[in-house]
Order: sequence, then C-alpha cells, then structure tokens
Amino acid sequence: MTVLRIGHINLRVLDMAAAVKHYCDVVGLIQTHQDESGNIYLKGWDEWDKYSVILSESDSAGMNHIAYKVESDADLDLYHKSIKEYGISVEMVPAGTLACTGRALRFNLPSGHEMYLYAEKEFVGTAVGSINPDPWPDGLIGAGAHWLDHALLMCEFDPEKQINKVTESTDFMIKVLNFYLVEKIMVGPEGAFQLATWLSCSNTPHDIAFVGGPVMGFHHAAFFLDSWEDVLKAADVMSKNKVKIDVTPQRHGVTRGYTIYFFDPSGNRNETFGGLGYLAQRDRPVTVWTEDELGASIFYHTRELVESFTTVYT
Amino acid sequence: MKIEQTLKNHNITILDTNEIFKCSENDHLLVGMRSLGKKGIPSGCHGGGCGVCKVKIHSDKNNYKTLSMSRAHISKEDEDNGVFLACRVFPLGDIELNVIGKIKRKCINGSKNFVFNY
Amino acid sequence: MGVMKIGHVNLRVLDMAAARNHYENIIGLIVTDEDEAGNLYFKGWDEWDKYSVILSPSDHAGMDHVAYKVETDADLDTFTKSIEAYGIAVEQLPAGVLIDCGRAIRFQLPSGHTMCLFAEKTFVGKSTGDKNPAPWPLDVKGVGAHWLDHCLLVCPLDPENQINTIADNVNFLSKCLGFRLTEQALVGPDEDIQAVAFLTVTNTPHDIAFVPGPTAGFHHASFFLPNWGDILRSADIMAMNKVKIDVTPTRHGITRGETIYFFDPSGNRNETFAGLGYLATPDMPVITWTEEEVPRGIFYHSGELNPAFTEVYT
Repeated sequence: MTVLRIGHINLRVLDMAAAVKHYCDVVGLIQTHQDESGNIYLKGWDEWDKYSVILSESDSAGMNHIAYKVESDADLDLYHKSIKEYGISVEMVPAGTLACTGRALRFNLPSGHEMYLYAEKEFVGTAVGSINPDPWPDGLIGAGAHWLDHALLMCEFDPEKQINKVTESTDFMIKVLNFYLVEKIMVGPEGAFQLATWLSCSNTPHDIAFVGGPVMGFHHAAFFLDSWEDVLKAADVMSKNKVKIDVTPQRHGVTRGYTIYFFDPSGNRNETFGGLGYLAQRDRPVTVWTEDELGASIFYHTRELVESFTTVYT
Repeated sequence: MKIEQTLKNHNITILDTNEIFKCSENDHLLVGMRSLGKKGIPSGCHGGGCGVCKVKIHSDKNNYKTLSMSRAHISKEDEDNGVFLACRVFPLGDIELNVIGKIKRKCINGSKNFVFNY
Repeated sequence: MGVMKIGHVNLRVLDMAAARNHYENIIGLIVTDEDEAGNLYFKGWDEWDKYSVILSPSDHAGMDHVAYKVETDADLDTFTKSIEAYGIAVEQLPAGVLIDCGRAIRFQLPSGHTMCLFAEKTFVGKSTGDKNPAPWPLDVKGVGAHWLDHCLLVCPLDPENQINTIADNVNFLSKCLGFRLTEQALVGPDEDIQAVAFLTVTNTPHDIAFVPGPTAGFHHASFFLPNWGDILRSADIMAMNKVKIDVTPTRHGITRGETIYFFDPSGNRNETFAGLGYLATPDMPVITWTEEEVPRGIFYHSGELNPAFTEVYT
C-alpha cells in the first residue's frame, strides 16, 4: 500500500476563457474534458490518465483541492482507517464525485488544505502512445509541459503563537501517507523552527512542499520540462504572450531544479520545473538549509529572497 | 532539532524606516539585508564602485570594519564623518544608520515609459 | 582597410588581488602579463592576441579606455585624417604606449569615452593552438569565457538641452570608423530620440553599444560563451563564489543574446553573453524598439528594467 504520485490539482480561476488559453497555449496542456458545471480538465502530453489539472471558474483564485493517486483500491480503506486514527476526519466519496475517477478519500491536511486520495482514473494514454513511441509528439504548443510535477502549499506559521502548520502537515504526510522528507529550511534561534519542507513519495526531489506564511494558501503548481534549454524556450513563450513572470530562469538551491515562476491570468502562481535535480531515496540524508542561506536555498543564483515569493500567493 | 549557528549576527537599524535586519560578521550590510528579502538601502554593484548604497553610520567605529571603496563616491572626509557605501561595511556590533544614496529615476518630458535614468 | 574587432578594454579596480581572482578564477581569463605600474593583462583562452583586458589599480572604478584593432598599420593614418576632419582631436601614440602593441591613435568619442585604435598586438596564440586543435582546453578555470565580446557605455542624454551623445556616437562611428547600426531604441513623444544604440564592425549583433545616463560611464564588458547551458553553469559558479549577480540568466530582446549581468569586486559590471544571436550582415535591416517595448528589448523575459541595471554603473 502506497501513494504513487501526484494525481491532479483543482485551481479556481476568475476568467475561464483566459485561464484555458493560458494553460493550453502557454503551459501547453491539452484539454480532455469539460463537465456540466463548466469545469475544464487538462493533461500534459506525457501523462496517461485523463487529467492532472481541473480549472473551476470562481470569484476568487486559489486551490480547491489537490489529489494523489494510490496503488490499489484497497489502499483507500487502509488509508481511511489510518487517517481517522491520526485524528483527522475523512470521508469516502463515491466513484464519479471526482470526474472520470473511482471512489476517493477526502480530508483536510492539518494546514487546512483539502486533499483527495484515489486509485483509479480513466486511462487515455500519452500523446505518443506506449508502443514504439516517438520521444515527443508533433504539434506541441507553448512550453509543451510534460506533466504536473508538484505543488507548494503555504501553511500558517507564527512561532510566537506556537503555530507551525508546516511541521504539522509534514508530520501527517510522513506518518500517515508514508511520504519522506527530502529537504527543509530551519529558522529562528538555533534553527528551532521548520519554515519549509519538501517531501517525496516517489524518487523526485518533491511531490509536495510546504512553506510557512501568515495565512494558509496556494503558492504554486509546477509543470515538468526536460532541460534548461526547455526552460529558456518556456520563458520566451511566456514573454511572447506577455505572461507575468515572477522569477526568470534560475536554479533552486533546494532540489537543484531549473525554474521559472509565473502567474496564470487569475494570479495563481505556476512554475516550469526543469531537470530531475537528483534521484531522491528514502535513505538519502535530508538536506538542511539554515536561515543565513535562506536566499540561496530558494534562488541559488541571486542568493536573495524575492519579496513577492513569500508574500504573494492565492 | 537545533542547528549550530557559527556566525555572529548583529542588528542593523535603518533609522529612516525603523526597519531592523540581522547581518553576520562575514557579510556586508547589503547581503544581510537582501538575503532575507528586506529592503531600505539601495542595492547596486556590491563592490564599492557605483555609489548607490551610501549610508551614514551613527554607531561607534568599533562596531564595524570597512573595505576600500570608490573615491568617486566617498571622500576621506566622508569616511571621517561615518559616511560609507553599505556594501563595504561589515558589522562587528549593532549598527544604526541613515540612508543617503538613492536610485534616481527621471523620465523624458512627455514620455511615460522610458525609465532609463539620464 | 577598416576596424576589424574589439581589441581590449582597460578597467580600473580598487583591489587588485580581488580583481585578479575574479577575472582569472571566475571568468576564467588567463593572466598574460603584469607591468611595473601594477597593471594586469588578461586574455580569453580562445583569443590569440596577447590581451583583451587590462586591469589598472585605482581609487575609483570604471573604464579607462576601450581599444579596437584595425586591419593594417596604414589604416591608422587614414583614420587619423577622417577623425580630425570630423572635428575630433587625435593623439598619436608611439609603439609600446599600449603595451605589446604597435603605434596607436587615441581620441574621445562625442560621449567623452576614450577610444584607441591599433593595428598590431603581440601574438601569443589560442590555448588550443592552431594545428589540429582540440575544441576546448582542459585547463580552463571558472566559467571559461572565450573572448571579450563587446562593451556597453553610458552616454549623456538631455533632450531638453539638445544633448544626445548616443546619437552623436552613432553618427561618428558610422561615418568615420565604418561601424553599422544593428539595433536602436527611439523614444520620446515624437519617437525621434535615439536613446539606445547597438553597432557592429563584424557580423555579430554588436561590438559596441550605448545607453543613456546622467554622466558618461562604463556599463559593462561582456565575455562570450557558446550556449545557454554554459550560462547556467556560469551562474552556478558565480553563486558558489558569492559573486554579486545583477541579472540572472535571461534573454535579451535586442541581439537575442542569452545573458547574465554580474559585478567584479570593484563594482564594474560584467556580462557573460551566449549565442550568436543572429548574423548581422551589412544589408541587415536596422531593428528598432519603441519606447514601451524597451524593457522587453533589454530583458525579454521579465519585460521590466530593474533600477540597478539603469542606474548602477562605474
């Protein structure tokens, strides 16, 4: 029994037409479904399940929920039990509650973010198929992102009031969902407070990350690109489309990834994340970043924290 | 979990805004300020050459050490009066300062967008 | 007959030991000479003349002069005549005044910058030699810059008082020295103020460039790297050495080059410039950037000019 990988993310957008244009023409996702409520479902060309992004029109931006895929349907019963035992209320929703998806568990992380676990989602195949596939498909648009890679969630953090939802959500992910810690930032006197954590359930440097902020929220959803060259092309594509770039191509100290941060037309932050970084393993020593190298941990080249990075999120 | 802090940090107070940031003895004032995303002192070349980060330090001379900086921006008299480029100042104790330098911007008459300073 | 290429740039530095470490171990230039006055001479591994950078100890930063190499010794007489006819005073320098160079001429651009022309400089050869050469030498240091590519100079502009030394420089270099305008920005209410100009004497997008400022100054000297991957590696090397990076890896709209701006330990701005951009043949139409698109012309991805870029120079 195990969590396999990130499944999808459901984002709220203010203007559906503008959002679809962004995620299709700039990020390069493919629309695969639209439901009766007008939600639009998208996938990357290299993904085989029906969707990894759901866009829901709303009067506020942000994330509705994030979902992870587990190995087998029976896992859902086991996780149902262990989540309840941890002291978190959890609900089993019937198949179809999530479009094209089997039954699922719904609960909230200690930080308040809504999460689903599911085992089955309709299979549609990658754009190159699985028999003698080409390395990439013709007709890619925009950045041509491969897949949804990870999400970073902002968690309430106020050491003076002894609030640290980063630590609480991290503890839950490790103890109950069997994620493992890959990197963390420690701040405060003698590095006593865990300000940020990067956790994996696969072998990538992170499948989810938590960073402390004044209120809970959604920081970014990241889409995978192969290489630094692809990151340059993606930045060119964004500029052509006058997309607001928050952070131009740079390396992360944490994860070693090549990044661009940018915003969708509703102000939800996206990332194109290039490269594997390294192969994370359960026995890999946890990387620790200290407060005096906080800038370099996030933005390795400037070694300076960008103000908007920690203050602007949905 | 505790992490060993090997560097000594000092409080740097920008009197103009009452903002305080911490800066280690190994870093110059702008690194201390910018690595935590703080602002207040204009940040330029970080090499003592361009002159935008000029500050007046009110604290005792024993509370900091300095490296050489451009005479095109800081005279000997300036130095005697505690006027330095922040990127050449390393704290040895707490420091209080006022910001003198600034990044000026001026536009061509009738032009809204052209932001080159000239 | 003609100006062939950029020859060298002479920069003033505050701390020679720190400067030597920067140009030798980070940019990866090779020290080829040191004179009695304490000046240090450097070349890139891919250059064949004795030096392309002179560092001079001083109490203030900035550029002492920039020098261009002409095709033949006789060209110096021809250029003397044409420059004097243009109304600019020319000083004749006997061989050796510019170390390891033949005779040279010295004059000031309309913007006030000192320029020298020379025809001969001691040949030392590339690190890889000229016989069955390896594509690159094994012993390069730091980012391993190939050669000095170009300089960008800050020139006084004050349209209200009919002062535009950028346009004056363009006129002078085009008429007297055979430079060709490749790109320009036309700004102001009537879009007739030539505020930014890029000129070439070769087939690269620029061998010299001018931007406006309150006083004449030195904006940056640029060193060539082959590609975007080299740019990532150089940014990593700068970050490891805590070099102050002004602008992290991005693309220029103007020239299409891939860039990093950073500072030497005296605050002189350097650039690593990658890629050819395009082949600037003499019949290439001049590219013009309009006022609202100048920021995108300079920093194609962010579309924003950071204040330090336009204000900070030596």
